Amino acid sequence: MSFVNRTAMATASRFLLLRRLSRSLKLSQTLVHSNSSRVSSNLIHKTIEPLDSFWPIGESHIRHDSSITTRSFSSQSQGPASIDNSSVLQEDEFHRLANFTIHDLLEKIEEYGDNVEIDGFDIDYGNEVLTLKLGSLGTYVLNKQTPNRQIWMSSPVSGPSRFDWDQDANVWIYRRTEAKLHKLLEEELENLCGEPIQLS
Amino acid sequence: MMLRQTARKALLGLSSQRNFSPVSFASRLYHSNVIDHYENPRNVGSFDKNDSNVGTGLVGAPSCGDVMKLQVKIDSSGQITDARFKTFGCGSAIAASSLASEWVKGKSMEEVLTIKNSQIAKHLSLPPVKLHCSMLAEDAIRAAVEDYKNKQAEANGETVEA
Repeated sequence: MSFVNRTAMATASRFLLLRRLSRSLKLSQTLVHSNSSRVSSNLIHKTIEPLDSFWPIGESHIRHDSSITTRSFSSQSQGPASIDNSSVLQEDEFHRLANFTIHDLLEKIEEYGDNVEIDGFDIDYGNEVLTLKLGSLGTYVLNKQTPNRQIWMSSPVSGPSRFDWDQDANVWIYRRTEAKLHKLLEEELENLCGEPIQLS
Repeated sequence: MMLRQTARKALLGLSSQRNFSPVSFASRLYHSNVIDHYENPRNVGSFDKNDSNVGTGLVGAPSCGDVMKLQVKIDSSGQITDARFKTFGCGSAIAASSLASEWVKGKSMEEVLTIKNSQIAKHLSLPPVKLHCSMLAEDAIRAAVEDYKNKQAEANGETVEA
């Protein structure tokens, strides 16, 4: 094993332990706090707006107010959008929403593909990952990032994006740029393929 | 072993053409730059995070499969003199943070904040699914610089926006 792996594994096993702890002891604030405070003390104060994918270890158990998600944490900093996440998105709710969104996109883009002339157009859904190939125009990858309750997208145009569910606006939104998933895809696909598409 | 040889063969003659779209069989292999960073990682290690000249950026989460710690040593003129990183993640994540640790050395804080994930991704020829690793590396650089700035501000007695 390379040196990086070995040292990384030592840190990783500590992280894994913290993760298991925080999962199994959801209500035990003090225990998680004492174990994770050393790690997360850095994280709380040093992380700002760019860390939209960040899920502080045990942070949700350290906070004492009811809005206990990472989103509310980063909305304290100079983040681009302050999303009201007064209720945590439960995992099964997240899966329901994200699966619906991805399947819906799959269907609509499949149909779109039948109508546009793109050499090498291929759309595939496997292992909960949506892969859209546009030949020489590039490849999109869309997948769920369950720990963060996010949908991650990789675009040949805009690079990587991480979308959170905004319950009020009923959209998936990338906080760093305030881009909405469906709008962003609509714009990019129209620019790439020349035909407009309706995704929302 | 075979993988490395195949990778080398596939990438012979492509040294100056980073934008060249790889031949289909090569597209599933790691780019030689990624393999290089994985096998010969630069700047692995830690600084004392309590050192006032050290900025520490810790990004990602183990549940996501990626954690990067990037530390920078900054002198009084705002130049980054040294860097160290430790990463838990895939080969692309390790390569991205290793590259970041190389790129920040000798640059000013303002300059490293202009390093974009797209540059990292391009240099490593990251496939679409691994672009997120380059974004994390960019975030790690920003977090490290931000940490240093916060420490300086605290040391100077200014109030810091958390």
